[in-house]
Amino acid sequence: MAGKSGRSINAEQKITAKKLLFTWEGALIVLFILVNIFNMNISQSYTFANVLREMPKYLAEMFMVLPMAYILVLGDIDISVGSIVCLTGTLTCYISNAGAPFPIVILGCLAAGLICGVINGSIATSFPELPSMITTLGTQIIFRGIAEISLGGGGSVAYNNTKQIMPLSTKLGKTVPVIILVVLVIAIIFTVVLQLTTFGRSLYAIGSNKTSAFYAGVDVQKCRFIAYVLMGLMASMCGLFLTAYTYGANTTTGQGFEMEVIAMCVFGGIASTGGKGTLIGGIIAGLIITLLRIALGQANVNSQMILVIVGALLIIAVLIPGIKGKIDEMKKLRAAA
Amino acid sequence: MENKSLWKKITGSREALLLAILVVMGIFITILNPTFFSPVNIGQIFRNNALTMIMALGMLCVMLTAGIDISITSTLAFAGMTIGMLTKYNIVNSTLALFLIAMVMGCFCGAMNGLIIAKGKVAPIICTMGFMYIWRGMAYVVGNSQFASGEDVREFAEFGKDGTIGPYIILIVCYALFFWMLKWTKFGRKIYAVGSNAEAARISGINVDNTLISVYTIMGTLAGLAGALSVSIYASAQPNMQYGREMDVIAACVIGGVSMSGGRGSVAGTFLGALIISIIAKALPLVNVPSIAQNTVKGVIILVVVIFNVITQRMVDRQNLERREM
Repeated sequence: MAGKSGRSINAEQKITAKKLLFTWEGALIVLFILVNIFNMNISQSYTFANVLREMPKYLAEMFMVLPMAYILVLGDIDISVGSIVCLTGTLTCYISNAGAPFPIVILGCLAAGLICGVINGSIATSFPELPSMITTLGTQIIFRGIAEISLGGGGSVAYNNTKQIMPLSTKLGKTVPVIILVVLVIAIIFTVVLQLTTFGRSLYAIGSNKTSAFYAGVDVQKCRFIAYVLMGLMASMCGLFLTAYTYGANTTTGQGFEMEVIAMCVFGGIASTGGKGTLIGGIIAGLIITLLRIALGQANVNSQMILVIVGALLIIAVLIPGIKGKIDEMKKLRAAA
Repeated sequence: MENKSLWKKITGSREALLLAILVVMGIFITILNPTFFSPVNIGQIFRNNALTMIMALGMLCVMLTAGIDISITSTLAFAGMTIGMLTKYNIVNSTLALFLIAMVMGCFCGAMNGLIIAKGKVAPIICTMGFMYIWRGMAYVVGNSQFASGEDVREFAEFGKDGTIGPYIILIVCYALFFWMLKWTKFGRKIYAVGSNAEAARISGINVDNTLISVYTIMGTLAGLAGALSVSIYASAQPNMQYGREMDVIAACVIGGVSMSGGRGSVAGTFLGALIISIIAKALPLVNVPSIAQNTVKGVIILVVVIFNVITQRMVDRQNLERREM
């Protein structure tokens, strides 16, 4: 990997099983297995077929984990994505209800997401001195506000013709839901782009040190713009599939998604300060949280208890690097003495 | 720069700009609808937004240290839900005791935030995001799929009932206290020092960790207070109360000129920022804009204010540069 991106100053590092296990991704894979064992113990109906059937409901958020990882690696943050889901979901319903054919519905939804992303991106790149948290806070309120206006007094819209959007929620060969395949393909593309292409590596460069990336010839603002546009596009994918599974949208569609998605990324080892983490970690972390939700739902655990578990996991995950650093420091001090 | 005239000082300050926006807004609304400036309306503006205004004070302190706290409405729900349940089952009925319980719980929640952020060196947004989930979940656990309705909290709701002065007194006391604290106490100046340059503050003998912990504890305490106030004003306690409203509090601070990178912001600015958001919410229906457009207008104002700020800053920088070249 290092050789391809032209940074091969050091010799290739030897990858041993022990080293792999002690990376964050290795730890997550172990946790993934443990969570599955835990799930099988607490729920009788936690079988592969059942999980496959229940997964699509939660999987729509996974679309947003991928570009959110890009944005976090850049050292930015985008908290407007939940509102983009709401806005694009609402638009999809209206376009479909107006009798547009299926491809037009999808294109309309994606175009809306693209526009939202372009708006976020152009504000972020024209005023780089503003923290992205503030600009996306503004657009978060505006996007949901537009959705609220278009939804009117009732505050919700449903598909007139649910048959039309059925292709999104069908299953291939009656077992594998379409959404899983779509997520899989897009996830592979996003991972390859982030880890193996020049664009992906320049995201890391910007996240580590914006100024030095600029002087190394990286077009910082262009990269940020692309990341925001991708974020808008993927949020609209989420809106598309979410409404296909819930048969409509309302003013609270997608509320709080932004924080859930950021939580999955951070739990996956992507630092919110930028420049650190891999997309593979983010995807595994997202899967862990999804599977926990399914199993706890099956076991009739108070559905809000999952919030406590997710929160605790998140805090433990971000505390571990600090604790490890302190232990290493103490070891060094002891060795010096 | 020492002999800067008073006039320039006034026109150059962020608070003056906000005040001008407020006055223009007030005149505009009054022309369109003369009933706006009635004591009843003004009173309702403060009462309906007392929670945002109180929590904005804590958020100001947190943002002065270059942090952010998005767990506040979860803390609010946890504390509010607990006292709602306590009074529903007649375990505690004294209003003062309930307020104190809520504040102690908020204090504990805030201290947890502060400890992990200061000692664990965790990014504030991530740590508070974790607690946002934990405390919200705890609110549901405490509620045990029940909620306290107006009938259950009747005695407690007497305090914040429409027409009582309780919420106003709390509001005034909080603002006076924080104005004094941030301007004239050692602790208040320490907060500014830590936010402007944490490393310099540490070297000059300020205990940065303790300052951070205190700031988040204050934030939590205010969130707990707001939780009790919320139960009292709205006469109900539900686990999902004020869900997602932490962004309103942050928006109030941002409009009020509090910098997210720390060290800049004032109580007066925060107050004006919160007031602008509150007036928009109240005034839109009065000037025949449907209230569903409220959020869009609010978002546009946030963006306009922050972008305007950046543009003026750029102009000032350019002017300074030109002066130097001469």
